[in-house]
Amino acid sequence: MATIVTSYEPTFWDKLYFPALLRGLMVTLRHFFQKKVTIQYPDAKYIPPEGYRGLHRLNKYPDGRIRCVACEMCAAACPSGCIHIVPGAPPWEDGKERYPVSFDIDLLRCIFCGFCEMACPEQAIELTEIYDFSNSSREGLWINKDGLLEVYEMTKDENYYMKKSHEADLTSG
Amino acid sequence: MDIVTLIIICVKALVVFAAIMLTVMAMTLAERRISAFMQNRLGPNRVGPKGLLQPLADGIKFLMKEDVIPSGVDKPIFLLAPVMLIVPALMTFAIIPFGSELHLFGRAIQLQVADINIGVLYILALTSVGVYGIVLAGWSSNSKYPLLGGLRSSAQLISYELAMGLAIVSIILLAGSLRLNDIIIQQQGHFLSWNVFKQPLAFLIFVVAVYAETNRLPFDLTEAEQELVGGYHTEYSSIKFAMFYMAEYANMITASALTVTLFLGGWDIPLMNEAALGNLGVLLSVVSFVIKTALFLFIFIWVRWTFPRFRYDQLMRLGWKVMLPLALVNIFLTAGYLTLTV
Amino acid sequence: MPLLKIDNAELEVESGITVLQAATANRIEIPHYCYHPALETVGSCRMCIVQIEGMPKLQVSCNTFVGEAPPDKKIDEKYDMVVHTQTELVKQGRKNVLEFLLLNHPLDCPVCDQAGECFLQDYAFKFGNAHSRFEEEKRVRPSEYLGSQIVINQNRCIMCTRCVRFTRQISGTGELFVQKRGYDFKISALEDQPLDNLLAGNVTDICPVGALLSTDYIHKNRIWNLHEQPSVCQDCSVGCNINVFYQKDRIFRVSPRENHDANGYFICDIGRYGFHRFEEIERMTSPMRRDEEELTEIQWDEAIKVVAKNLSDAKEKIVFVASPFHTNETNFMLGRFQKGFFGALPLIEEEGITYPSGFSINSDRSPNHRGMNDVCPSILEDMASEIDQQNIKVMYILDDGVDRELDQEWKEILMKMDFVVVQSYALTEVAESAHIILPGLAPFEREGTVTNDQGRVQWLRPSLPLKGKARPDWRIIMEVVNTMGKQELSYSDVGEILAEMGKCFPAYEGVSLFRLGDYGLSINGKVKSS
Repeated sequence: MATIVTSYEPTFWDKLYFPALLRGLMVTLRHFFQKKVTIQYPDAKYIPPEGYRGLHRLNKYPDGRIRCVACEMCAAACPSGCIHIVPGAPPWEDGKERYPVSFDIDLLRCIFCGFCEMACPEQAIELTEIYDFSNSSREGLWINKDGLLEVYEMTKDENYYMKKSHEADLTSG
Repeated sequence: MDIVTLIIICVKALVVFAAIMLTVMAMTLAERRISAFMQNRLGPNRVGPKGLLQPLADGIKFLMKEDVIPSGVDKPIFLLAPVMLIVPALMTFAIIPFGSELHLFGRAIQLQVADINIGVLYILALTSVGVYGIVLAGWSSNSKYPLLGGLRSSAQLISYELAMGLAIVSIILLAGSLRLNDIIIQQQGHFLSWNVFKQPLAFLIFVVAVYAETNRLPFDLTEAEQELVGGYHTEYSSIKFAMFYMAEYANMITASALTVTLFLGGWDIPLMNEAALGNLGVLLSVVSFVIKTALFLFIFIWVRWTFPRFRYDQLMRLGWKVMLPLALVNIFLTAGYLTLTV
Repeated sequence: MPLLKIDNAELEVESGITVLQAATANRIEIPHYCYHPALETVGSCRMCIVQIEGMPKLQVSCNTFVGEAPPDKKIDEKYDMVVHTQTELVKQGRKNVLEFLLLNHPLDCPVCDQAGECFLQDYAFKFGNAHSRFEEEKRVRPSEYLGSQIVINQNRCIMCTRCVRFTRQISGTGELFVQKRGYDFKISALEDQPLDNLLAGNVTDICPVGALLSTDYIHKNRIWNLHEQPSVCQDCSVGCNINVFYQKDRIFRVSPRENHDANGYFICDIGRYGFHRFEEIERMTSPMRRDEEELTEIQWDEAIKVVAKNLSDAKEKIVFVASPFHTNETNFMLGRFQKGFFGALPLIEEEGITYPSGFSINSDRSPNHRGMNDVCPSILEDMASEIDQQNIKVMYILDDGVDRELDQEWKEILMKMDFVVVQSYALTEVAESAHIILPGLAPFEREGTVTNDQGRVQWLRPSLPLKGKARPDWRIIMEVVNTMGKQELSYSDVGEILAEMGKCFPAYEGVSLFRLGDYGLSINGKVKSS
């Protein structure tokens, strides 16, 4: 079925142009006085909503033990291959029989898709709302197990950006 | 001419030059802040209080940049072109009266660098020369986009210079003089004695032509970033590039001042006799002139961030088929009216 | 020959084989747990159930034999037996069996080392239900050590008893048994006789689930991270076929590869854990020269020049010593020197074991003794006297890095030498006496062919990258030969040497890497020449 397109015939009023031009000017003038949307970033920070996919963290049980069992499901699910786990025996006697001896994430490779979160059978790895963790070296963007657990401490109670002070260097350690 | 007169003229020239340069700096910031505001943003506000030192930072940056002169350019002309653009813009301002007569130490000082009795002609001549800067920049760059920019500029000049000239003719008819001071005096009185009310059509034609003359949107076909990669100044860098921008803003200031002079009574404050108030009146007149000019400068920016660019054929059609006939009709009507009434 | 129909396939099979064997041989998949071709059939897991026409219930295919039917009982007037593996009844039956098997299974796949190669996982995914109706508490029992290297996770066990049958039939040691019955069953080892025989590692391979685990591999890595390289075991002259599982530059596991002409289904623990030996060895990674008792690193060019010069100066008074541990190609390349005498390093002999099932560990622990004899020209029987007679002062030893204790005779021989070149990857006792050491490759890095004691040539494939400045042994010899200037050899890989070898030794004629493939070729019956 053909679509019949009727071209718009401008009226005399349209042809004068100036009324339309004035209307256009009024639009920009209105915006001139509207509230601005800019967030003055380093001074004020954007607060990401629930479910934002930012920096990873490794969750702990209430008793302080790491939830991760080094099953490498996250590493298997990871499309960019940025998770590097070395499994081993846990340092404690009872409890889980697998334990991540090292758990490294190459944040430069990570695409923050959240597949690792979904693959994790222990709800151990999670993406947090932290987005500003830039660094000036490649090594600085290689986050290890201690770093990931530190992120958990920073984000476990409330939104990281709601806190008054978040000066801690995220990618140290 | 005695030495004091010479000193006074020099001082006036310096003051005007400094004022224009400061305004240019302010305009670069104003353009960015106003455009940001119109897009619900904040714009540059980190350098100095409220970002007021941003132009200084920009200037330092321009000076520190490497000054590239591409191989293959016509070097003397390439170097001359930015100067050719900025000098006429500054020179035009010389004849614009920015206040009423100042009486100081028993001397009457015209607030005008040069009072020329063929002022309007002088203006038309200099604005035409200004385009040479663009054309030469485009040609000497030896690069296709600048060349196209230069070509467009010359075509645009012819199309709009005519309409602008003819619009001014109707003002001259009313004033009976080419002197700008005479035109201001002719507009003194109340609001309706301003030429903008007497000659609304001429005002519109003049304003549109001025936008085209200064290469501002919606007529910035010579720059047209999206099509011509910056047009005539594609090959320029560092301070020479900055000069093009300074020239553009200087042109805008001059054009605004001229519009104010020709159509909005210049420094005149309606319903008020400045002369009676002495030097206070002079101050008020300068303030009045500055406010009116600033209003036009704001409109320049406002228009730029509202309207899209004309297509080239639209530009030509508007110039030749709309504005030129309208200007001629306007002259005819004005002349007829004057013949019948005077 | 009975005519069997399985689903849509008509198969003519030998009388007396089972339905499962017939199906497997014809690539029809019938899931099974307790059945293992090397072990006695028990039919306890019930996973291999199929529907057979004329039988009222589902039958276990592993224990149902195909036979000739009387002419009047033939189905469709020609088939002796018609089997269905894909009917709704069979599918539902499998689902039910799997649901039972999974009743007490912990479903801890993420932490189970078997995950990825687990038959319970695969079949549950392919044939099972997505849910279980079992609402009660699962039975939880602690893991136990069955032997020093074997752990059993009692929760994961599905009671197929493959391991029990293995210890009874294959190793003949019978350490394992099923303790208690029904719900309380568990696999246990005799208290006074833990599972510590030399075949114990195989139970971890035949376990279809992750119940039996080797302490050597447990929680070390995930199977999908590892690369699998088919290769040949280097620890005795049987030449067991193995799969080497490695990641980057580390081997994680060695498991048997089925080859009925060599090892059958299994390997011994000597070969299984043998790769750890090479992890501990301090490697020679660059050429060394002895200056005043001190070994100093030198460059390859220099080392080869020095060797070539000394060999040239010695005229023909050189002994080239081959090794029963090196590949045929490397030993063959030694023969490319052409002029000189040939000797061999002493063999490594240890106790040989033969198990009731026929699986044996050979007393000759050098993998390529036969191959060395095949491809080296006339190896001297009595090297010591020959050296004295000929007054030989230069020796080129193709050392194999095996830490053998040299007897007095060998020590004396080495003492007499003016110049000894040793090609080795480790600083062995032989290498200690060298004037120049040229670093070759270790096992798992070498490529080539080896010939086992049965005369089967097999392809030894590398799984680890070269270390340091080490070079393939055959390439080192080629460079020395070329630098001596008499010949110009230009082999670019092992395959070309193999082709050359075939020209020189008729027994190896026509042997190529392509023809060897995964299972090798027998050269028995072909003439040995020299």
